Amino acid sequence: MSAESDLQALRDKYLGRKSGAITALMKSVAMAPAELKPVLGKQANELKQEIEQQLVERKTALEATKAPVGAVDISLPGRTPQLGHIHPLTIVREQIEVIFTRLGYQVLEGPEVEDDYHNFEALNMPAEHPARDMQDTLYLSGEIQGAGRPATLLRTHTSPMQIRYMERHQPPVRIIVPGKVYRRDDLDLTHTPMFQQVEGLVVGEGITMADLKGTLSAFARELFEPDTKVQIRPSFFPYTEPSAEVFIGCVFCHGSGCPICKRTGWLEIGGSGMVHPAVFESVGYDPERYTGFAFGMGIERIAILKYGVDDIRLFYENDLRFLEQFPL
Amino acid sequence: MKVLVSWLRDFVDINVSPDELGQTLTMRGFELSSIDPVDTHQKMGSDPFFDAVLDFEVTANRPDALSVIGLAREVGTAYSLPVKPLVPKPLPQTPTRDVTVRLEAPDLCPRYAAAVADVTIGPSPEWLAARLQAAGVRPINNVVDVTNYVLLELGQPMHAFDLDRLAGKEIRIRRARPGERIKTLDSTDRALDPDMLVIADADRAQAIAGVMGGGLSEVSDSTRTIVLESAFFNPKSVRRTSKMLGLKTEASARFERGADVNAAVTGIERAITLLVEIGAGQGRGGAIDEYPSPVSPKRIELRRARIGSMLGLEIDDPDIERILKGLGFQVRRNEAGWEVSVPTFRVDVSREVDLIEEVGRHYGYDRLPSTFPALTEPAPPSDPRIARDRLVRRVLAAAGCSEALTFSFIDTALAAHFADHDAIVPIGNPLSAQFSVLRPSLLPGLLTSVAHNRHRERADVRLFELGATMTRAGESRRVAAALTGHAGEAHWSGARRPIDFFDVKGIAEGLGGALQADVTFDAASLPSYLVRGRAATVSAGGRVIGSVGMLAPAIVSAAGLAANEDVYVAELDLDALAAARPAAPLTVKPLPRYPSIARDISIVVDHTLPAAAVRGTIRSAAPDTLVSIREFDRYQGKGVPDGRVSLSLRLTFRSPERTLTDAEVEAAMKRILDALKSAHDAVQR
Repeated sequence: MSAESDLQALRDKYLGRKSGAITALMKSVAMAPAELKPVLGKQANELKQEIEQQLVERKTALEATKAPVGAVDISLPGRTPQLGHIHPLTIVREQIEVIFTRLGYQVLEGPEVEDDYHNFEALNMPAEHPARDMQDTLYLSGEIQGAGRPATLLRTHTSPMQIRYMERHQPPVRIIVPGKVYRRDDLDLTHTPMFQQVEGLVVGEGITMADLKGTLSAFARELFEPDTKVQIRPSFFPYTEPSAEVFIGCVFCHGSGCPICKRTGWLEIGGSGMVHPAVFESVGYDPERYTGFAFGMGIERIAILKYGVDDIRLFYENDLRFLEQFPL
Repeated sequence: MKVLVSWLRDFVDINVSPDELGQTLTMRGFELSSIDPVDTHQKMGSDPFFDAVLDFEVTANRPDALSVIGLAREVGTAYSLPVKPLVPKPLPQTPTRDVTVRLEAPDLCPRYAAAVADVTIGPSPEWLAARLQAAGVRPINNVVDVTNYVLLELGQPMHAFDLDRLAGKEIRIRRARPGERIKTLDSTDRALDPDMLVIADADRAQAIAGVMGGGLSEVSDSTRTIVLESAFFNPKSVRRTSKMLGLKTEASARFERGADVNAAVTGIERAITLLVEIGAGQGRGGAIDEYPSPVSPKRIELRRARIGSMLGLEIDDPDIERILKGLGFQVRRNEAGWEVSVPTFRVDVSREVDLIEEVGRHYGYDRLPSTFPALTEPAPPSDPRIARDRLVRRVLAAAGCSEALTFSFIDTALAAHFADHDAIVPIGNPLSAQFSVLRPSLLPGLLTSVAHNRHRERADVRLFELGATMTRAGESRRVAAALTGHAGEAHWSGARRPIDFFDVKGIAEGLGGALQADVTFDAASLPSYLVRGRAATVSAGGRVIGSVGMLAPAIVSAAGLAANEDVYVAELDLDALAAARPAAPLTVKPLPRYPSIARDISIVVDHTLPAAAVRGTIRSAAPDTLVSIREFDRYQGKGVPDGRVSLSLRLTFRSPERTLTDAEVEAAMKRILDALKSAHDAVQR
């Protein structure tokens, strides 16, 4: 039985009004002797009901196999909105902005072309200071209009914005400054002549190095994993004293030792320290009254660690096969 | 700084594994960069288990730690072990008369010490050569090796001249003469500059002070008498000279960071002691010491309370004193804390906070608590560009474009298409031609990225970038998009259309909408990199803020794409766009209470007639109740005469006060059609 017509034929054969077998049976029951009628009638009725029920069941089953009116092939692709993708460095940068905004920081931006005073001198790096070698600078040919003084170079770090902000505001200060910075580094697996940093600066009365450590720990736990450890190690930057490099526990091996952390269990993510009194003096803050901490981290470095990117150049090639791996 | 553990052990009785020693110094600011086993340990008679070559990174502020004794002080302090002082045998009091020293430039050379020694040139003993080799210094002969040994051990650069080669047996510390030249020890003939300090004899320069000696007076196999130089040169002067000559040496690295002005004579004494010890020679008389303005140790007040308020941790007095003394500071307790005398080898310590760092770093940053700074007042709002740029990025991503990031410097040739020559800012010291000028526009970088993707089997590319562009006029924040290929993805339900002008125009309109700025388009003053007829200038708030359109084929092909590849771009000045936002805060209009009446018309007009002209005519002929005009079809072809176009528009009428009647809308439509007919010769279809 494969179609409705077969089912109808079957119904006609047994239940048809004129020639149906059951119809005939019912008629013959009517002619049976009176004492047999109740028994025969009951049995004939049961048979009729049985057949009717079976027919209904078959019909339902048959209809279930038929496509409903107006059906579509739901396995075909949908009209997916053509959404683009946000760059991984923007994703990381915005995550950092969100974390620090929640911690009560103001997010600021500064100019990318800078003058020597804001990029070096006010940050305790006078001309001929050996520390200038740590940041190989790209200079502009001639001057261009800057923010205040004429700009002569591409900023080598986001720290000039510390000076620009403190020149105009009194403590308390609690800012982060994300942005692009430039160094005269050749393009290779781990270097690009342009990269992104996020700078942090907190100034007030009674700010300590323990506050720096606590802040960086809270940040790392939120950005990486809830149990991420932070270690600060003595280092040198002209604009902080004491100075410290910032490490996080290796997010790949969790301290057991892997090639990425060079088996040390620690990964460097940036520099930090207590704001050098000479920096406060250059912006007219009283270093006896105020203390503060500053930190700077590489956004590429963090993105590399978060996403397991093995070649920093991928961030600047804009290969859609790379970009499309990141969500909107 | 490479150092043998066994050499360190000359000064501090350290008894831990090289690994642990490396870790300890790493946590005190000297990062271990490598650890190498020693193969010559037997010759040096040291326990192989405990010897190794440790290579430490020494930060620019610590020239004193570019020496064995400097690192030994760190080790001694870290392990609370005494550091044996280096006490060489003193020389006779009376200075030698075998050489004359004339200090003619005390500004560039605050101290110059010299002594004479008779020597027998030969190879150094193995232990000495091995120590040098471990430190990465090639042994040459016993005299030169001794000067290098003192440099490594004490951090005091030394130089030995062959006395017999010095004209007039004279040493003059003077500025180089104009046009003067010298052939340095590396056999390079170098031109000198009058700003450079030289060590000369009566006739000519024999060394570049603090950088490298000259070949003429070099110690050779025939040398019998030497003059040992141990000086202090002005750090800035050495740095400038070294940079100008492109010549970095072990000596210049130390002098430019700052040597110990009071180690000059110790260096001489140590060198002569060593010469005697290894049988290489004997001193002849005492040292000459030209030191016109002796430097005495600086004194700094260190307040106990300040240590705590800076670090956020109370450290006990004995710990503080132990650390400072271990590092070579002299401390005298007073009421508030200590008066600290700073040894002259610690050129980095000039303020109280420098001492606090010393205490903190040896006490251990690991022992600092983690606290959180109190928020004393609410944070002021962030830079409004942050939220704006975030919105712009989302609008463009929702429009199907992916975010690109390209370098802020580009190729000169590429930049030339996008700005006037005078506006473009070259990099003074570019890395390569590829990165030689600041980008005057985001488009060149985006175009390069489009080409990158097109060359990798990607037919449809839609990218945007948000960032700074720079010209002589300064920096501005822009957003740009570049699109090529088809709109949308191939779909079973229908054909796709190629990207066209209206995609990029729509992007500009969409951004304007998101930032609540009205943007308008016209074909005036188009930039030359766009194709006329398929491009428009974008204005907002009464000023030009950018442009949209098709990139010129010549530029597309210069980027490595086929010239017939249509690339559509948009670029807008974001700050100017945001400035066009209305000042008044947004207030809502009441929703309409009466129904609208819509009428569709189809007219045939000249095909060059802009839709904006049709809209303008309709507006001027229509009553106030016309609330919207929307073109919904534009058709040329069968049934429309050549040179004409059929335009279909839907006009919607509504009154805020009452329900409009069919009759009044009909009357309005008639006036509109009449106006279109007389203004544009429009024929209703």
